[in-house]
Amino acid sequence: MSPVAVGIIGIGLLVLLFLLRMPVAFAMALVGLVGFASLTTPEAALGLLGRDIFDTFSSYPLTVIPMFILMGTFAYASGISKRLYKTAYAWVGQFRGGLTIATVFACAGFGAICGSSTATAATMGQIALPEMKKYGYDDALATGTVAAAGTLGILIPPSTVLIVYGYLTEVSIGKLFIAGVLPGIIMSIFFAATVALLCWRNPALGPPGAPVSFKEKLRATTGIIETVILFFLAIGGLFLGWFSPTQSGAIGAGGALLIGLARRQLTWQSFFDAGKEALRTSCMVLFIITGAIIFGHFMAVSRIPFVLAEWLGRLPIHPMAVMVVIIFIYFIGGFFMDAMGLIVLTVPIFFPLVKELGFDPIWFGVIIVLVGEMGVITPPVGVNVFVIKGIAPDVPLETIFKGIFPFLVALIIVTIILVTFPQISTVLPSFISY
Amino acid sequence: MRGLYPAPTENVEGCSVLDKFERFNRRLSDWFEWVGLAGLLVIMAITCIDVVGAKFFCWPLLGAIDIVMLVQIVAIAFAASMALILGRHIQVEFLFNLLPRRARAVINSIVMLLGLGLFMVIMWRLSVLGHLLQTAGDYSATIRIPYYPFAYGIALASIPVCLVFLLEFLKSLTKKRVQK
Repeated sequence: MSPVAVGIIGIGLLVLLFLLRMPVAFAMALVGLVGFASLTTPEAALGLLGRDIFDTFSSYPLTVIPMFILMGTFAYASGISKRLYKTAYAWVGQFRGGLTIATVFACAGFGAICGSSTATAATMGQIALPEMKKYGYDDALATGTVAAAGTLGILIPPSTVLIVYGYLTEVSIGKLFIAGVLPGIIMSIFFAATVALLCWRNPALGPPGAPVSFKEKLRATTGIIETVILFFLAIGGLFLGWFSPTQSGAIGAGGALLIGLARRQLTWQSFFDAGKEALRTSCMVLFIITGAIIFGHFMAVSRIPFVLAEWLGRLPIHPMAVMVVIIFIYFIGGFFMDAMGLIVLTVPIFFPLVKELGFDPIWFGVIIVLVGEMGVITPPVGVNVFVIKGIAPDVPLETIFKGIFPFLVALIIVTIILVTFPQISTVLPSFISY
Repeated sequence: MRGLYPAPTENVEGCSVLDKFERFNRRLSDWFEWVGLAGLLVIMAITCIDVVGAKFFCWPLLGAIDIVMLVQIVAIAFAASMALILGRHIQVEFLFNLLPRRARAVINSIVMLLGLGLFMVIMWRLSVLGHLLQTAGDYSATIRIPYYPFAYGIALASIPVCLVFLLEFLKSLTKKRVQK
């Protein structure tokens, strides 16, 4: 049997294991191990398994992941998210749909110090949903907004998905981070505009809150100072070349911890809870990367990525048409798999093709993160939707999905804009060297 | 957060043994997680000390990268079993949930057995790697920390993961028997 045929059988087996609910990381490691053994020797595969695990777990570039996740959990435990929401509410709460617009901007702000969409949705959902319920906001609008705006967490730096993409493709993490800034801002504006449009058409969806004086607005603005400091210290330091990504994450985590201590918000219990939460998420991410690396070795010896790149590269169609197909595959894949799982599984297959076709790897990273974002809010595996359902158990899942639909349209429009104008995501990375 | 696998069925013959086994696993995984948490906090502290030392006092911490790399092994490997118990690993759930209970129990037992097999192989290969690193005398580049204890560490941390898979396999069998 040819290596390509073995590779195709391996992919089929992997999909089967996914459908049988085997954890993605373990399924990739198992299929990668067996596939590699069948194409080389069992001794080589077993040797590779041990080495891959040891090397990935001890990889210094990957330390950035636990550090940025820790920064996010310490920021939450320090009460930063609550103060962000208060600030956003003070400025836009008195408008129609103001609380939901405030939620979008608070999610964008929290996304600037937290690299996970699920964490952003869970954090802001706990704060914003009770408020919106109190003011009589429509359930679909309220829950849909939080689930959708939570996705800003993996687009606005720091982003765990972009870190993993950077690690797998050897693209600069600093450049990937800064590439997500403009699309993240545009996405936030589009989300806010979606809320404004919905509430303009039907004012009953989001009644305006009580007016806030200018003095109160200014006072509330102090609530974002620590976020700004933390962002400029950690992410700014990275962009300016002061820190490596790992150092930047550790400084951010240390900074969030100090803020919590200075504000007297952290107890021993919340400190350990935040640490354990970060540890469990980091463990999941590093295991999935390890699985992807083992599976990637199998894919490499099967030569599927190279054969696919060669075949598609020779087709007499425009490279953009191929890219549209790839984006569509990510879009469909997102319905069934979490963004992180989808990216680690597919990047080893598609990335050589993307390079062969001459697309910018940084732009491609931003695009697949955007498309992956759609996956976390669409059925049947919309992780953010389930998180919001957990916070608002009285709201039916159908209502949340209904509320998400306008935001999904906004996401698709922004993706089309970024595909049409790739400069939006490539202009800022051209200014930094790290 | 919902656990990965449902709790053992009450009123099932032999469930008290499974309950004891589950409690033991949970306690063992909890201890291991504390070790992992200590590792994570050490990584943060070492990196911050290194950055502040290097930027403000021109005194970077010697071997900071070596320590961070190796402590990361401890942090991640020792958190694996608790992450598994708490269902933190990404899974594709949509088709599985549509299946009848008995089919789910059968599939679950197969998946648990595959997971158990995978982690037993991981435990074996990391022990072999540890032995190889020990006999070859491999050390870290800057402060010469031996690598082999960390390979053995991953093998050790795989034990509770295997126990979690074994427990879930036994629970699936029990469920199948009850449904019959």
